[in-house]
Amino acid sequence: MFIQTEATPDPASLKFLPGRQVMAHGTLQISDRNAAAQSPLAVKLFNVDGVTALSFGADTITITKGGGDWQHLKPALLGVIMEHFMSGALIVLEPVRNTGEVGSTEEQAIVAAVKEALRLVIDPELGYNIVDLGLVYDVAIEDGGVANITMTTTTRGCPATSYLKDGARDAAWSVNGIEFVEVKLTYEPPWTPEMMSTEAKRHLGISDGGGW
Amino acid sequence: MLGARLSRWTMSYFAAALIALVAAELLMALGYGYPGAPVESAETLVLVHLVALGWLSLLMCGALFQFVPVLVARPLYSDSLPLPTLACLVAGLATLLLGFLQMDGIVSIPFAFFPMAAALLAIGFGLVLWNLGRTLWVARPLPLPARFVAVGLCSIAATVTFGIIFTLVLGGVTDNPHLVDVVASGVPLHAIAGLGGWLTFTAMGVTYRLLAMFMLAPELGGPRSRTGFYCGTAALAVAIVGGVTAICLAASVTLVLFAAGLLGLCALLLYGADILHLYRARKRRMIELNSRMAAFAIASLAASVILIVVLAGLGILAQHVAAVVFLVAFGWLSGLALAKLYKIAAFLTWLECYGPVLGKMATPRVQDLTVERRAIGWFLLYFVAVWAATAALLLEMPVVFQICAGLMLIASLGIIVQLVRIRQLLDVSATLRLPPGVRVPLLLRCSVQHD
Repeated sequence: MFIQTEATPDPASLKFLPGRQVMAHGTLQISDRNAAAQSPLAVKLFNVDGVTALSFGADTITITKGGGDWQHLKPALLGVIMEHFMSGALIVLEPVRNTGEVGSTEEQAIVAAVKEALRLVIDPELGYNIVDLGLVYDVAIEDGGVANITMTTTTRGCPATSYLKDGARDAAWSVNGIEFVEVKLTYEPPWTPEMMSTEAKRHLGISDGGGW
Repeated sequence: MLGARLSRWTMSYFAAALIALVAAELLMALGYGYPGAPVESAETLVLVHLVALGWLSLLMCGALFQFVPVLVARPLYSDSLPLPTLACLVAGLATLLLGFLQMDGIVSIPFAFFPMAAALLAIGFGLVLWNLGRTLWVARPLPLPARFVAVGLCSIAATVTFGIIFTLVLGGVTDNPHLVDVVASGVPLHAIAGLGGWLTFTAMGVTYRLLAMFMLAPELGGPRSRTGFYCGTAALAVAIVGGVTAICLAASVTLVLFAAGLLGLCALLLYGADILHLYRARKRRMIELNSRMAAFAIASLAASVILIVVLAGLGILAQHVAAVVFLVAFGWLSGLALAKLYKIAAFLTWLECYGPVLGKMATPRVQDLTVERRAIGWFLLYFVAVWAATAALLLEMPVVFQICAGLMLIASLGIIVQLVRIRQLLDVSATLRLPPGVRVPLLLRCSVQHD
């Protein structure tokens, strides 16, 4: 894999071209660390000191720095991007879609209802719901009322894993219009506290910013 | 189920262990054993084995049956072995204690208690090794915390081997000169393999994972942690293998122990640096009681190391070694065990009662099963009493030591009451305590409800 870089009119921004697809649809602007939780790659890039904003295009990653020298930043950023693409990890956790592409309003409403129902399921250790903890990576609705939930746990091998999975299934099943629920457990990307909502972080007394 | 399951008999191990702790503290408060009797007396041996085998080893075994699967994200090799294992270990301990009492002339039944104890404990720990060893074996390559446990398991094998040799010689079964030499000079090696390898090294590995989990801190496994692991493993290998070799060759065991001590010191310094990093890098700023009390236990370990260095520097380590062993056993190992027990009991009880209804109805948090402000006083009393008792041993004040042991007993009973309240869900709010289908769990056994 060879990553090219390209200067932009703004000297504080640099474009990286990994030679692979970055976004399948549209673009994604990430203006601060809080918004990075939806993208494992963005989380890793924000962990490099000096990165203040990101923009993902179809095949480009534009990185904006707040300070420092590109000569010093570039090797670290190239390393992060290379490692991420080589690992085959997701760029964004939930597909970012324009409203018109998401499907029907009814489908959106069911997704929202499933997510709301999943808030009944708490991580017993952290004592907060799995949606706001960022443990639910994706909720997708297929024809026939099939809900596909992709989720993780805070730690691999947790004794609560099967209860969380079954709990998510039961909670989603309680939503009107859901006939079948498939819960897929994944550890790619691994969960980090960065993935929590601001509300969950505040509840647990966790400061914003910084990965592990 | 992916990874770990609820270990059915872990609570029974914990209960048996707590009974042994209370019995040991009661005996110390009554002036039984050291310092009222010599270190090598049968009374002290009863006390030491009640603590090391009855309290700490049973607790460690119960905890490992639950948490080794968490460390390696694989199920335990056998869920049916922990009960016969517990039966063998408890019967073996009881027989061993009877053997010591027989040695003291208190028990006059003409029965070969020592060989029987050796057989029962060998079977019990053999089953522990088989079950946990098979679980670890299929999970290779092991993550760092599990490697500590693997070395701990090798150490218990060495400890039990020493113990078997001691019981066979003391029981008059053999008079092989090499084995008699091991009995004469091998007690420090038996203690190092047990307290250092089995209990301390395993506890170090488990803390790497549990502290990271409970405080939301990054899991460690970098060069510093690995170097610490290798130094500790080397220290144990030098002490045990080198020590036995020195005994067989009639060479100096002290020199071997000095070399092992230096390696052990390096391992503990690196471990200390890692633990400091875990506490500092934690995401959860407000940490729970178990993590706060674990810090006191780790501070006791640090104090033990400092004490060893200072006493050795002054040339009086041999004179005060009992005080150091006491601080390691009660400040570090027992303090950590009680702190983590407070969390683990709540966590397992939650899984047993509320895990199966998750997603169907509102459930309490694990923290809702505990009242930390009520428990903290007992923990603080426990640690203050342990530190004061250590000082009393150093200053050779046996009456003060007995008073402190009495305070430790009161504190331990206070903590046990909190654990029983957790098991009975007494502190969960009435609205969430017993939703339809949830019942109060059995005190001594975990069984998944709603199956």
